[in-house]
Amino acid sequence: MISHQEEGSGREKCSLLRTAWVVLAASSVMLAQPVLAADYTITGSSNTYLRMTRTISKDDLYPLYEYLRFSVSTAEKDGSSVSLHLGAWGRLDLVDKSSDHYTDGDLQYGFLSYQGAKNNLVVNVGRQFVTEGVAAERIDGLYARSDFAAGFTAAAFVGQPVVTDPSYKGGDYIYGGRVAQGKAGLYTIGVSALRNESDVARDREEEGVDVWLHPVKQVDLTGRSSYNSITSGWMEHAYTLSVAPIDQVTLSADFSRINYSDYFYNVTTTAFALKNNGGALDPNEELTTYGASAAWTPKKDLTVAAEYKKYDYEIQGSGDYVGGKVAWTAPGALSLGGSVHRMIGDSERLRYYDYRLYALKKVGHAELGLDFYNVIFDRPIDGVKSSFALTGIAGYEVTEKLKVGGDVEYSQSPDFDREWRALVKVAYAFDMKTGEKGGKSEK
Amino acid sequence: MKSKLLILLMMPLMACVLFACANTNSGARIHPEAVTGTPNCTECHTDAYAAMNHQAVDFFKKHSIFATNARRSCNSCHAESFCSDCHAHKEELNPNVKYSEAVERTMPHRGDYMSQHRIDGKMNPASCAKCHGRQNNERCVTCHK
Repeated sequence: MISHQEEGSGREKCSLLRTAWVVLAASSVMLAQPVLAADYTITGSSNTYLRMTRTISKDDLYPLYEYLRFSVSTAEKDGSSVSLHLGAWGRLDLVDKSSDHYTDGDLQYGFLSYQGAKNNLVVNVGRQFVTEGVAAERIDGLYARSDFAAGFTAAAFVGQPVVTDPSYKGGDYIYGGRVAQGKAGLYTIGVSALRNESDVARDREEEGVDVWLHPVKQVDLTGRSSYNSITSGWMEHAYTLSVAPIDQVTLSADFSRINYSDYFYNVTTTAFALKNNGGALDPNEELTTYGASAAWTPKKDLTVAAEYKKYDYEIQGSGDYVGGKVAWTAPGALSLGGSVHRMIGDSERLRYYDYRLYALKKVGHAELGLDFYNVIFDRPIDGVKSSFALTGIAGYEVTEKLKVGGDVEYSQSPDFDREWRALVKVAYAFDMKTGEKGGKSEK
Repeated sequence: MKSKLLILLMMPLMACVLFACANTNSGARIHPEAVTGTPNCTECHTDAYAAMNHQAVDFFKKHSIFATNARRSCNSCHAESFCSDCHAHKEELNPNVKYSEAVERTMPHRGDYMSQHRIDGKMNPASCAKCHGRQNNERCVTCHK
């Protein structure tokens, strides 16, 4: 199985440096572009968070985070565009300077993108998140996709996997692609493959089939099956069927099956490792879930839903999760909601009720809210029968671009007894546009 | 050998021909109207986009398929940071901590998740592994030695 157990090395740092160089080089080209292009858009944001919390051993932590996001895109007259996207965060702990880890940070994404006016052509280079069939991967590399004749689309990517590897290495190279055929608005069927390897090991070899069927307006089927070529077994089947017999009612059914020995074959942490690889998960376990839900929208902003899910395990028994929720959302004014669910499982830990109640009201430039989440265990865990978190939320829009806010949380749980936490946040958006209308949400 | 070389030469040529024949117009890069909150796409769309109704009770389960099929559509409203808030390489703040005011959104780590994660991890570890199996799991090693 995983034969390359090594602690994380300097590979990640080298990879980050390479990405930074690519992004810097690309940036210099991009920065000249807005002057030449017909229309350009610059969007960016600075989000600063100060969290006041404590560790499980009651040590104070005051980490200060800064998230910076920046995009610049040019719209050429022929309809194509070139854009640069950067996102990163940094952290400094204001109290605990006892270890080397009181500062940290990460480049979340940084890539240059070309989008063609025809055939949905996209070419990206840099650190990016790729979603193509079996691949939902962050890579440092190259990605390209395009439409082709007869309803075909194809995508390919190659690069280094951007993974964290606290227990096991995550491989040095990753490549793959997807070919799909479909008819707009009616169906899409795709086949995809992914390879992840290093000089000494085959880390992942996965193939998959994905479908989206929309034969009539009222019916929608999505799903995916993925296969592990190294273990020669199906990792996962996951399908969801939605039916809307009338506009106000949506019925949904879902099915999934996961084979642990194939699904958890290659992870980078012992938290998800199989027993035969130093973890706790039984490789013989197979989980099948069946779910159903019904949602009724009697008024535009009101949704009432009931849901049920059955967890059927090969080894550890079964569990049923049943409940419902109500949500009232008037954009920009009021959000109210609540939910209650019951989990009834064969094991003691899987027998509990969970409740949630929330309300958020916007008045002028201010917003105030409460969020309460509660889990009541049938049998106490570490002497605690009821685990809850009550959060008070406040925010104020100082200007269209500047928003300040924060929250205070009071909680009790098996790990924390009557715990207070707080968060202060300042968000500043710096946008500049010429020509292009519309907008994006950072959230 | 000759036939293999011929195939290798023909493939890019075929790709170019198929690319030229497709001649589809690319989707909008920016949604014509700014959208706030959790949108009900059926309010305006009656075509395939209507299926992406974010208020649908099962949208969260299906969003990965939409991201595969129509990432460009996602990008017309969402900045890249929207994906990386959850599908993170290395992240210390949960989305529900950063966006506590977005009470209506589906976020899987509400409340005190330290104790709840043991239950969810037992219930369906695959649902955790999608985001933490190979990424964003540096802190797991604190307990999972």
